Amino acid sequence: MKRMFGLVLFLVLIVALAGFAGASAEKEPGELTFAYMSGIADPFMFMIEKGAQAKADELGVKLMTAEYPKAWGPEHQVPILEAMVARGGFDFLIVVPTAIEALIVPLKKIHDRGIPMITTDTYLGDGDYSKESNYSFPLAYIGTDNELGGYEVGKRLADMIGKSGKVYINSTNPDVSSVMGRRDGFLRAMKEFPNIEVVGIDYNLDVQEKAQSQTAAVLQANPDLKGVFGTNLFSAQGAYRAVVNAGLTGAVKVASWDAGMDQINALKAGQIDFTLAQKPFEIGYLAVEWGYKYLTEGAEVPKKIVPGFFFFTQDNVDDPESQQYIYQ
Amino acid sequence: MRCLHPFLPASQAVSCWEGVRYLSGQELTQSNKARVLLFIGERWSAFFLLLMLGVFSLTAPHFFAFKNFTNILYFSTLYVLLAAGETFVIITGGIDLSVGFVMGFVNVSAAIIMRNLHAAGQPPAVSMLIGAAAGLVLGVIPGLINGLLVARLRVPPFIATLGTYGIANGVALNLCEGFPIYFLPPRAREIGNSFLAYLIPGKSFSFFHRPQNLDAGDLRALTGILPATVIVTVVILIIFAFILGRTKFGRHTYAIGGSMDAAIRAGINVPGHLVRVYIISSMFAAVAGVLYVFRAGIGNFTTMSSSYELFAIAAVVIGGASLMGGKGKIGGTVVGILILMTLETGLNITGIPSFYRYIATGLILIAAVVVDQLTPEGRTLSA
Repeated sequence: MKRMFGLVLFLVLIVALAGFAGASAEKEPGELTFAYMSGIADPFMFMIEKGAQAKADELGVKLMTAEYPKAWGPEHQVPILEAMVARGGFDFLIVVPTAIEALIVPLKKIHDRGIPMITTDTYLGDGDYSKESNYSFPLAYIGTDNELGGYEVGKRLADMIGKSGKVYINSTNPDVSSVMGRRDGFLRAMKEFPNIEVVGIDYNLDVQEKAQSQTAAVLQANPDLKGVFGTNLFSAQGAYRAVVNAGLTGAVKVASWDAGMDQINALKAGQIDFTLAQKPFEIGYLAVEWGYKYLTEGAEVPKKIVPGFFFFTQDNVDDPESQQYIYQ
Repeated sequence: MRCLHPFLPASQAVSCWEGVRYLSGQELTQSNKARVLLFIGERWSAFFLLLMLGVFSLTAPHFFAFKNFTNILYFSTLYVLLAAGETFVIITGGIDLSVGFVMGFVNVSAAIIMRNLHAAGQPPAVSMLIGAAAGLVLGVIPGLINGLLVARLRVPPFIATLGTYGIANGVALNLCEGFPIYFLPPRAREIGNSFLAYLIPGKSFSFFHRPQNLDAGDLRALTGILPATVIVTVVILIIFAFILGRTKFGRHTYAIGGSMDAAIRAGINVPGHLVRVYIISSMFAAVAGVLYVFRAGIGNFTTMSSSYELFAIAAVVIGGASLMGGKGKIGGTVVGILILMTLETGLNITGIPSFYRYIATGLILIAAVVVDQLTPEGRTLSA
């Protein structure tokens, strides 16, 4: 009886899995199909998909989306990637490589099967595909210049606090190129202001509660803290909540990265002072656009495409033309 | 360590201790030192917490402050709820890996319901109550699945709950599509971040109502006394500490962990009991999920890297439970969480760079457990 039950359960699972797999691998003959392999399940990655989908609809091509990895890292991403390649049925790959080294070999294999690709948001090696190397096979890298963004955030925050005082960085992981770039850019900006002291950097591993408790502790230790930089959605949300709960809104300036709805609402309420919005929609959109041009016209794709970013402030947050940059 | 008879409640386990004293009475009367050591050894985790609080108060500037202790309690609430549920499971000799993602699943579900009702024009109170209630009801499901898998189909708890860990995560991500849930009734966040009373030293004191329109100086001085989420958590913990320590349900929980065979022979409905224990664990995670919605004012799924379940399990073990089952107390678990949170906050306030803090956290936790092993306990004498 028990064994029967187990067997039935197993079969149901197999059928369910086959159903999922079948749903995403459908393809009509004669149509171009783009595949999108994201880095992790988060709003930013979904925005890339939305942008790619929008351009795909415009061009009348198909977009298939691989399963979103639950965590960041090649150990989570590569099995999904290989399963997708095994199923096949796509002509072009848009991929967010989760490691600069470990993804080179799996992606090279796909390239060697005749499937061209563009890496978005993150890159292989040092991201320079224009010079000959073992990782220069992708057509292009499309993504934000995180270092420059971090630097711009730092300059703005420094201006807001009168170019002197203590500031603090709350980031997600110490081993992810994008947030490391933001941190390094911010630190580079701070070097230009001898009267500003960076009192610490914390890593919250993408847990908002942790970002909040870390920021609360730093506020406790430094009653004269003047500025906080939260390097992504969860970091910024946790950091500004800690400032609000400590009753320090206004006294401590909050610089934020990304533009989720909660951050935008907090900006309107004066709880965040400004936030840098990347353009994930544009990243996805451009990836499909260039991929299509390459496949149909054999167009030369620029090796590096940087869509830039947009600063939301209290002054422009309500402008109609700003609304397109909100992640939603 | 208490020596527990499978069929005796924890409170009666003290009689074993008396027995120990009787057996080895001669040595103990000869040496007060041994007696003190034994006393400390049996309550080591609580002593360790006090020791840590003392050291940080002396070495870390601004650590010894009312606001800071409030912060530690405030940030302990979610973890302590997860760990309290985990305590029940670990006492039966099982483990529940799914708690962190069940919290995220309930969090997202409750938030979506609140958002939709709010958007449909329902009054905030109705939206929040229905959302919270629905979240708690949904929280039963993963526990029921875990319990049935473990008790009826004999799936090892590690595998069964690892399965629901993935399922709860996937369902949560599907529900929210990877985005936090916004546009909840603003009242929710106000309630979740409210305090029993507010004090502006030397100026004003009020119950429940946060003073409005303060100038910057008063805003800085404003001190909240007892966060609402802490009060809710303490009430729940007291009820479940009573259930575990003083009721037949609690006795059966210890009995199952002490010896499954003996529990069956004693006529306990072991499968039925295990199902209820896993439901309790899941319900605790659901309560944490609902409180989290109120606190953050948005619905957040649990990220893979958060490792809530490991924190919860560590706290239960630091609090004196055994992963083999049969041992553990809610009070010990609370101390375990407070140790972890105090350590994190304290090291953070000292301003040690984060990479060194990881090393320090690891070393201090290992040291705490090693000392626990070295100090004499009832077990070593009675063995």
